[in-house]
Amino acid sequence: MGNDLTGVALDVQAGYTRREWLARAATIVPGACLAASSAGRAAAAPTAPVAVARCRTYGPELLPTLDRMFDQLGGLARIVKGRTVGIKINLTGMPSYRVGYLPLGHTHYTNPEVIAATVHLMGRAGARRIRLLESCWSTADPVEEYLLQAGWEPRDILRASRNVEFENTNCLGKSRTYSRLVVPFGGYIFPAYDLNHSYEDCDVFVSLAKLKEHASAGVTLSMKNCFGITPATIYGTGAGEDEPSELPRGGRTMMHTGYRQPPRSAPQEKDPKSPRQDGYRIPRIIVDLVSARPVDLAVVEGVKTIAGAEGPWITHGIAPTSPGLIVAGTNPVTTDAVCMAVMGYDPMADRGTAPFETCDSTLCLAEDVGIGTRDLSRIEVIGVPIKEALFDFAAIRRQRLLSPSR
Amino acid sequence: MAARRTPMRWPATWKDPATLALLKGTAVDCLLLEKGAGLGPIAARAQQEGLMVAEAGAPPPGVTVTDGEWPGVKLTASGTPDRVSAGPTGVPWVDANGWKIRLMAALHPGTDIWVEAVPVAPRLFPESYIIGVADAAAHGGRWIISLDERMAAGVAAGNPEALRAWKTLTGAAGFFSAHEEWLQYVPAAVVGIISDFGGQNETMSHEILNLVARTNQQYRIILKKGFSKACFQGLRAVIYADEDPPAPDLRKEALAFVRSGAMLITGPRWGELPGRPLAGVEHPRYELRAFGRGRLAVSRADLDDPYLIASDSMVLISHRHALVRFWNAGAVGSHLAVTPDRKRAVLQMVFYARLFGDNRPSVRIAGRYRQTRLWTLDQESPGAVETETQRNAVEAHLPPVTGYAAVELEV
Repeated sequence: MGNDLTGVALDVQAGYTRREWLARAATIVPGACLAASSAGRAAAAPTAPVAVARCRTYGPELLPTLDRMFDQLGGLARIVKGRTVGIKINLTGMPSYRVGYLPLGHTHYTNPEVIAATVHLMGRAGARRIRLLESCWSTADPVEEYLLQAGWEPRDILRASRNVEFENTNCLGKSRTYSRLVVPFGGYIFPAYDLNHSYEDCDVFVSLAKLKEHASAGVTLSMKNCFGITPATIYGTGAGEDEPSELPRGGRTMMHTGYRQPPRSAPQEKDPKSPRQDGYRIPRIIVDLVSARPVDLAVVEGVKTIAGAEGPWITHGIAPTSPGLIVAGTNPVTTDAVCMAVMGYDPMADRGTAPFETCDSTLCLAEDVGIGTRDLSRIEVIGVPIKEALFDFAAIRRQRLLSPSR
Repeated sequence: MAARRTPMRWPATWKDPATLALLKGTAVDCLLLEKGAGLGPIAARAQQEGLMVAEAGAPPPGVTVTDGEWPGVKLTASGTPDRVSAGPTGVPWVDANGWKIRLMAALHPGTDIWVEAVPVAPRLFPESYIIGVADAAAHGGRWIISLDERMAAGVAAGNPEALRAWKTLTGAAGFFSAHEEWLQYVPAAVVGIISDFGGQNETMSHEILNLVARTNQQYRIILKKGFSKACFQGLRAVIYADEDPPAPDLRKEALAFVRSGAMLITGPRWGELPGRPLAGVEHPRYELRAFGRGRLAVSRADLDDPYLIASDSMVLISHRHALVRFWNAGAVGSHLAVTPDRKRAVLQMVFYARLFGDNRPSVRIAGRYRQTRLWTLDQESPGAVETETQRNAVEAHLPPVTGYAAVELEV
């Protein structure tokens, strides 16, 4: 027996066909993640292989490791040759905010060496243009300036290949208009999103993420990384009422809690009466975004990271960790499912089960709309087997939850 | 800049000359007494004990008094402790006096700068007094020590908590009195702000100074009157936002500075612009022009938003050239000064808000420094500080700090 968000019990044994299930689900909570029929959905969702590799440091072993992983996935040239590649990196939170004294790339930012190595390999594989994208926290400043504040040297990345550039996608950026990307399945929360042009103006979209847990979404991997493609000029605290603001101000509380709508110029929520909880909204918005702007290549870097949350602003129980892992695939759901497994979590877990104690599973919701399967039995894992790659975030989490200081 | 004395506004309720014993062993050596408050016996005894006595509102010769803000993170009007006022991007608004002290020192060279800033509720904790002392002293001035009524009454009555706060306060004042050598250091700077800082330019130029300081860009004040080529030396850029165009000699000097490889940030009121537009470099608010080896950044609209001027200047100049960069430091103010031979430096830091959690602050200081030591107000001698040497910089990992710390550096 499983429960959807409305508390309606669903009979696992009911034996609905997929069509019947979809029809029934649509009458209860459109697009809700219904654990009961997950097996059927998993069987229908597409799959793709996922490469797992050990990489203990950001030193000389990094480049050959990534090179080998991309080869295992069929080669980068197949994906990027002659194309404009948009790479969403993860630079969450202010660059002046670190975990203790640790460099940001060792904790909650995608590491700059990983970014440079990926850029280099893409250039070598024939990418025509490589654009590194991030919506930098509460600013329209160039990404390069943001990196300098983090203590990085952006030239190291820009020089890793030809035709490399950055764009801050937290605002209008280099275009005159925002691009409206429609959610093909209709959307869980919004039917379409107004985004910086870079997400439309790329032939190939890559999510270059960090392997982390997340306070509101359970995990933050290749799909959650895409939450950050939304510009704060439209989806941020300081967004205009009628039009996007000129400058981004504040974070995306609007997306988390739904306390207000985006400017009238942007697509409005489908159902403003839907739950105003971040554990409900964030996973759905992520799936909307990943559906609107499909991920062609997902790379999740967990050489060094943190356990316990997505950044230092979550003050309890953050622990710097060194899983020494990189996971990559061409489907973000299968990639994230393998990431969850190497983190010691069951990718088939739903709301109420770690790490989704208080939120819905992004993976489940993505599987529901046919983006990819999270069923490990249907995913080919290349390279290091999951059992050998395991770095048990789940055990650390259990210990943390039992900690008396909590 | 030389802050030779440590002034205190004597509480009008401390009428008993015996209360002067509270000053024993402290750095306080100048009392400002309220006229007509019946403090004649205090004045007489203080003078006998070698203290300087002056009337409040009539500072002694050689002193410039400026009205300041009670420093700290600005709270909302309601004073709710867990709510703070925020700047345009949500960064907490900080009331600070460093920029004003430095401006007064530039306008009144050779005088001591004292700041009159009355403690304001609800920021009346012992650490607020430390910040009051440090905010002025770190920039070469002195806060006129003023006690709020409750603290004055508590100290006079021998209340242990009030006496502890008094000891902390006078200890902080003593620390700065013992480090007068830092007053001989020269402020390090990456950007110069040119203005007459008066008349129609007063509001804008003062706010630019205030907000540039808030970004922790190290700056130099350049007065239009009496400027020289030396005023531009070592800078990466200058900002000119005055209403009126610059005089021909200033224009000539500023453009020579740009031609040599620096940047001028200005607005349309600058007048005729030399050079040519920079191809392929775009900025939403500025037109960028190449001139010699340098650049002109000319605002397309009138420069009327000091916040934008300050924040845009950081990007126009580039964080690459920042002399000081903080992590996990919260609402921090800083002042980096170097010896004339540039072999030694001191970075003074004022932490206007309490730092929470395990996120300890760290700071990167540009320069090839090899030796560092940390001063805090609660230690009589300097301590070691964990550092990481980088290319042309050193990163100091600070311990948890309350109110103030200074890193001394040596090449």
